[in-house]
Amino acid sequence: MSSLPRRIIKETQRLMQEPVPGINAIPDENNARYFHVIVTGPTDSPFEGGIFKLELFLPEDYPMSAPKVRFITKIYHPNIDRLGRICLDVLKDKWSPALQIRTILLSIQALLSAPNPDDPLANDVAELWKVNEAEAIKNAREWTQKYAVED
Amino acid sequence: MSADSDMEYSDNDCEYDDYYNSGEDCDVEHLDPKKTDPEYFEYECLTVEEVEKLLNESVEKLNTILQITPSLAKVLLLEHQWINQVVVDKYRQNANSLLVETRIKPACNNTDPSLEVENVAATTSAAAAAAATESSSTSSPTTTTTTVVVTPQSLGTLSTYSKSPTTTPTTSNSSSSLSRSQMMCPVCATVQQGDKFYSLSCGHSFCKDCWSMYFETQIFLGISTQIGCMAQMCNVRVPEDLVLTLVTRAVMREKYQQFAFKDYVKSHPELRFCPGPNCQIIVRSREIAAKRAVCTACGTSFCFKCGMDYHAPTDCQVIRKWLTKCADDSETANYISANTKDCPKCHICIEKNGGCNHMQCFNCKYDFCWMCLGDWKTHGSEYYECSRYKDNPNIANESVHVQAREALKKYLHYYERWENHSKSMQLEQQTLDRLRQRINEKVMKGRGTWIDWQYLFNAAALLAKCRYTLQYTYPYAYFMESGSRKDLFEYQQAQLEAEIENLSWKIERAETTDLGDLENQMDIAEKRRTTLLKDFFPVEA
Ligand SMILES: [Zn+2]
Ligand SMILES: [Zn+2]
Ligand SMILES: [Zn+2]
Ligand SMILES: [Zn+2]
Ligand SMILES: [Zn+2]
Ligand SMILES: [Zn+2]
Repeated sequence: MSSLPRRIIKETQRLMQEPVPGINAIPDENNARYFHVIVTGPTDSPFEGGIFKLELFLPEDYPMSAPKVRFITKIYHPNIDRLGRICLDVLKDKWSPALQIRTILLSIQALLSAPNPDDPLANDVAELWKVNEAEAIKNAREWTQKYAVED
Repeated sequence: MSADSDMEYSDNDCEYDDYYNSGEDCDVEHLDPKKTDPEYFEYECLTVEEVEKLLNESVEKLNTILQITPSLAKVLLLEHQWINQVVVDKYRQNANSLLVETRIKPACNNTDPSLEVENVAATTSAAAAAAATESSSTSSPTTTTTTVVVTPQSLGTLSTYSKSPTTTPTTSNSSSSLSRSQMMCPVCATVQQGDKFYSLSCGHSFCKDCWSMYFETQIFLGISTQIGCMAQMCNVRVPEDLVLTLVTRAVMREKYQQFAFKDYVKSHPELRFCPGPNCQIIVRSREIAAKRAVCTACGTSFCFKCGMDYHAPTDCQVIRKWLTKCADDSETANYISANTKDCPKCHICIEKNGGCNHMQCFNCKYDFCWMCLGDWKTHGSEYYECSRYKDNPNIANESVHVQAREALKKYLHYYERWENHSKSMQLEQQTLDRLRQRINEKVMKGRGTWIDWQYLFNAAALLAKCRYTLQYTYPYAYFMESGSRKDLFEYQQAQLEAEIENLSWKIERAETTDLGDLENQMDIAEKRRTTLLKDFFPVEA
């Protein structure tokens, strides 16, 4: 494996030294491009109280290409599918090499606070979110309790 | 790009016609094919080199008038359908807003670059200063009051990008101070000499290695003229000159130029790539209409306006709607694709192996219509109604279920005929191949020459042309509102259909058909076809 680019080293250092509230990202012992991420559910959202595990991987051409991020913890959200894949513009066409791991994680946290059922990835969830938001929020709360809260 | 060639055409029309019509009745109609032939279309097939030359001429012309770089000229033309005059007018009226509109300059500088790159490293004060300079006098919501009125003259020589000047760089809040000539690149987080940095008019400055790696990534994705600044949320466009300055690998430069060329052609209303597989030809026409263009290199025939198979008399939107519908309903329509039907009289199974829809049962000799299974006798007259779909007049009062069934029935009526004529065309091609073999044998035995039989191939070509148009009348009719115009259309369609079947019948029995009779039939069929096109084929201005 080639040596780690300075950019990744810098970002990692800063993530450790000045962590973002509610977000914890730690590089894997064996692979500095692979991060174990924990995002806590934002307050006043149906995900409140949940601890969500994600994985984040920096591809070979990072930061020219966006990091690959996926939810490991099951979550009921219109922009996140069964496999934990996230529909987020900054991870796709809106990616810019000037964006960072921390900005991406902040965007994901914001997505939990403000789901966008008009740009769905999980169609059944998005559908319910549009026709019966109360019911959808109830489901999201239940899933949070069931999968994202440790007893 | 000269208007002269247009003139040549119209001036020559008379001579041309006199030459070919000498001795024959030179009726006035022949003088202007633009008026008499509803499918008349002037176009040329150009090579990539020819189109490059054509585009370069446009670019050079604009450079000369506005004194701008070719790189900038290309962006401005790309965004204005390659109409020089529009660019010149806009530029002279308000160059700044033109540059903002084409994303050469940022809309306004309410974005502080240092916030966007979120201090993994700091941006330079030079960049911030540059951004402030670019602020337009009308649209700056920031507190920055520095406004520079940019005159066209000063813009003329203005480069669309710059190497960052080595002014005092600020440093990241966490990193130690850097020497005066050094800066930190926010993308790779390395400290480098100031002269390694480049920025666009937005002032977002990055090192040249990052830019070039970024460009290669974008080119790899097929992006060229639309590459944007690396900074987040910044939509300033990267012009060609910066890309070609920083991308050094020959293969990537070439790819960039190929993709950019594609973008240029696609943005040029007079140009179309030939849709033929692996064909490099570009068709050019000054008239942007839904007319048939035939590529001289690969023979592909297509609608110039939308690039799909030629579809007169139907227009581009309607044919797209129709084809989408057919694709969506392909399951439903499958059952009708069978090549066999039972004779309506003796019920023996009959296979259709020719294109003609006038069938004769080999068993009972009954003449019937393949489409509607009706008596063929009723098809030859003014009362030919096989092509027409009879709407249920009470449909509005029926149940949803009945309405749905009726809608399907209606669609299938049109689809069946559309599909059938397409199949007929293939079958007629096979008939022609068989005919060619038989004629070959005759010629070998000394019975006439190929020239003697040429008329038959002409007849077959005309039949294909007529049937092709007939096929495309069905989507047209399907989407037509009921009323007198639809009645007229379906009347003409029925007339055309009847004459086409007569022609097909005669060609299948070519060796026993009288030549005069056949020529007469060809004439009638083609007249019906052009009449229908003249009345219904939308000819845009
Ligand atoms: Zn920028
Ligand atoms: Zn860099
Ligand atoms: Zn071609
Ligand atoms: Zn078309
Ligand atoms: Zn029969
Ligand atoms: Zn019929």
